[in-house]
Amino acid sequence: MTKTFTPRQPIWCAGCGHFGVQAALVDALRALEIPPHETLIIAGIGCSGTIQNNIGAYGYHAIHGRVLPTAIGAVVANPGLTVIASGGDGDGYAIGLGHLIHTFRRNPSLLYVVMNNGIYGLTKGQPSPTSEPEVDSSEQPLDAVHLGLTIPSSTFIARGFVGKPVQLGRLMREALVHVRERRGFAFLEVMSPCVTYNDSYSRWDSLVIDLDEDTTHDASDWIGSAARYARLIADGRIPTGLIYRGTARTYEAALGLDPRKPMALQDPAPGPRRRELEALLEPYYR
Amino acid sequence: MKHPTEGALDDVNVMVAGQGGDGSLTIITLLGNLLGARGFHLYTSRNVASRIKGAHAAGMLRGSVVPRGCIGDHLDILIAFDSEAIEVAGERLAPNAVVIFDSSLGEADRSRMPPGVRVIGIPFGRLAVRDLRRDLFKNSLSFGVLTRVLGIGDDEAVGCLEQRFRSAPAAMREANILAARMGFDYAESQGLRPGHGHWQLAPVTHDRRLLISGNEALAFGFLAAGGRFFAGYPITPATDVMEWLSERLPAFGGAVIQAEDELAAINMALGAALAGARAMTATSGPGLALMMEGISQSGSAEIPLVIVDCQRAGPSTGMPTKPEQSDIGMIVYGGNGDLPRVVLAPGDPVDCFELSATAVNLAQRLQCPVFLMLDQSVAQDSATVPPFDLDRIKTDPGKRLSADELAGMAEYRRYLITDDGISPWAVPGTPGGMNLVTGNERDEWGHVTTKPDIRTRMTEKRMRKIALATDLLPSGRRWGDPHARIGLLGVGMQLGVMREAAERLSRAGHAVECLQPRTIWPVPAETVDFIRSHERTYVIEHNAGAQLAHLLRGAGAPPEKMRSILRYDGRPFRPVELVNAVLDGESAQ
Repeated sequence: MTKTFTPRQPIWCAGCGHFGVQAALVDALRALEIPPHETLIIAGIGCSGTIQNNIGAYGYHAIHGRVLPTAIGAVVANPGLTVIASGGDGDGYAIGLGHLIHTFRRNPSLLYVVMNNGIYGLTKGQPSPTSEPEVDSSEQPLDAVHLGLTIPSSTFIARGFVGKPVQLGRLMREALVHVRERRGFAFLEVMSPCVTYNDSYSRWDSLVIDLDEDTTHDASDWIGSAARYARLIADGRIPTGLIYRGTARTYEAALGLDPRKPMALQDPAPGPRRRELEALLEPYYR
Repeated sequence: MKHPTEGALDDVNVMVAGQGGDGSLTIITLLGNLLGARGFHLYTSRNVASRIKGAHAAGMLRGSVVPRGCIGDHLDILIAFDSEAIEVAGERLAPNAVVIFDSSLGEADRSRMPPGVRVIGIPFGRLAVRDLRRDLFKNSLSFGVLTRVLGIGDDEAVGCLEQRFRSAPAAMREANILAARMGFDYAESQGLRPGHGHWQLAPVTHDRRLLISGNEALAFGFLAAGGRFFAGYPITPATDVMEWLSERLPAFGGAVIQAEDELAAINMALGAALAGARAMTATSGPGLALMMEGISQSGSAEIPLVIVDCQRAGPSTGMPTKPEQSDIGMIVYGGNGDLPRVVLAPGDPVDCFELSATAVNLAQRLQCPVFLMLDQSVAQDSATVPPFDLDRIKTDPGKRLSADELAGMAEYRRYLITDDGISPWAVPGTPGGMNLVTGNERDEWGHVTTKPDIRTRMTEKRMRKIALATDLLPSGRRWGDPHARIGLLGVGMQLGVMREAAERLSRAGHAVECLQPRTIWPVPAETVDFIRSHERTYVIEHNAGAQLAHLLRGAGAPPEKMRSILRYDGRPFRPVELVNAVLDGESAQ
């Protein structure tokens, strides 16, 4: 077998929530038997943006805030890949927020894992868009799950917490299944505390509420899910679990892509398509 | 050039002008079809404001017996739908021009025209609304008058309309033909009989040619070279590329994405290229400024990417519909850090087709950003050119590894340091080729590092790719008198004007040699040699800062041998203006 790069040890601080995210991802890839060569992990900038170095699949380190456009380009070019975009709350909700909204709108079959720690860790403790009043009281925090629920073409919205690893593992597998079955965009936000600059384990542990355990929660009901979600956050809780799962046309389908014939693997030579190419010039002849 | 008394017009410049939405471009299309069918070479240009309807808008067409790459010095015919058209175009009228004026709104202002101009006033708008119930029929009406002026037979003119409206409803087709016949009648009353006009067109032989714009030719070249992924954000004057591809790429298994902004557009293209698709984005100056971080990423992470900049007048929003060549500095030097890049500059639709295909292949070969630098004129003007030769399109797979090749390798390092600086490349999905691609500095395995020795070697590896690629880069077009003391040098939109100006200068006894560099960066030795080998070279640019001249100077061209001819008013040079600029320069010696 060809020797390729040796996965790195994570750069994260002892006790960082991201270890739990990586463990859940590695377990889910293994459980679903997704081969490393068919997996492309696209990471953003920040502590979370190093996860691709630790796994052994194809990895790409995107520029700050642009994991989602990059992932969309990759999945459109080759829908046969399992594309996993990952990054932090600064990368995804500050500099890159615009792309999240448009990714919900497009519904491409890719997984986006946001490691939300409510802080800029790598640059040493500046507030982020999800910082709670305990960290920064000058601006109100953003709730990306709530945002996703406002967009009708959203198809998979979930939140996990590294303090609840069993639930997180289940959500990661379900998200990957959603993507592998080409049902669209799987959005999984993981509450992943920064032990150094926002050690929120106990605070979040007291606020999370697991909707998966609640038999009255119907995750397929868009309006009901949104109403329930709004009620819980108004009460100061952090809802977790599979918040909403629906169906909508995927971006690959909208673009008419054939997953068996990815453009990335086409023979680029003009020869076989010569007559079609020449036909395109017909209207220009004078 | 013109011989009205002999009745043989071999070079005719026509402008149709009015308010945007008047249909000026329709008449240009009709006349282009008619002259094209006769065998005339065509060059068309438009002059529009940045709004959907209204404001002054003009279409221009030049028909000539020999190919010309620009609009001529003077207008022979002006169709003016309003008085503003005369205000704008009056000074460009030939002494013996014909003005066909819509007199519905009053009389033409003769003070703005040369005294010998013949004015044919017709209340087009009023006639069209009164008799045909629709203002837009004034176009076909004026086309009827125009064809009589040019001595074209009525049957030929009607045939041209029938062809144009062949797929339109019969009532619409007939109303347009009726409008043209009203035009014939009116022309008859002015003494213009069928086939005996103000002028007669010179006889021409007909070759099979394409009438195509630079943007269209460029998009076709991309597709022909295996380009399959395009992401862009609408921006004048680059949007045509996206529009053209969005209608055609899907049939070839490709896709076009209209992104939410230029940041997304270039990163989508990077993602698609990373996955192995031949990818491109197209924009204009303001969009390119937003894309700079992605371009730096392409250079650092070594991802093949083609970036098109259809330059418009800047800075900032500038003049969106006007040509300029003022992004040269941004294209050549933009982006953070030292990054390898290639910049190609097409000058006509043939170049656009060929260099676009070349750019796709160069990106694959060199794994770096390759720019296609256009300007609004090259991008949006159309010209007749010989049919594109698909046999000239070769697809270079670059150093892309197959699964079989990988299986035979003991180890695979994505950023292997090689003699030519290019590392073998395995795309995601290839068994055994797992790798890390990053814009961070890294070692050969793709692991992030700041070790000084690795950093130094990686930087040199990236820059070596370009240093060793000179044989792959398109050479310039060089013509004229090789013994001339005077050189003319210009890129993009200067090509056609330079050709015509050089002809006239030679006839006037000023021998010149011309160079249109088609590779801008790295600066080819031939460009510097050209300047060295002439006593004086006029470097012709559409910008205020002499950006190209500075670039050439940095590449070793002696500054004392360069004279800049600069323009930045949003209008292309006319041949006479360039001739005069050179003569002024010479008389100042």
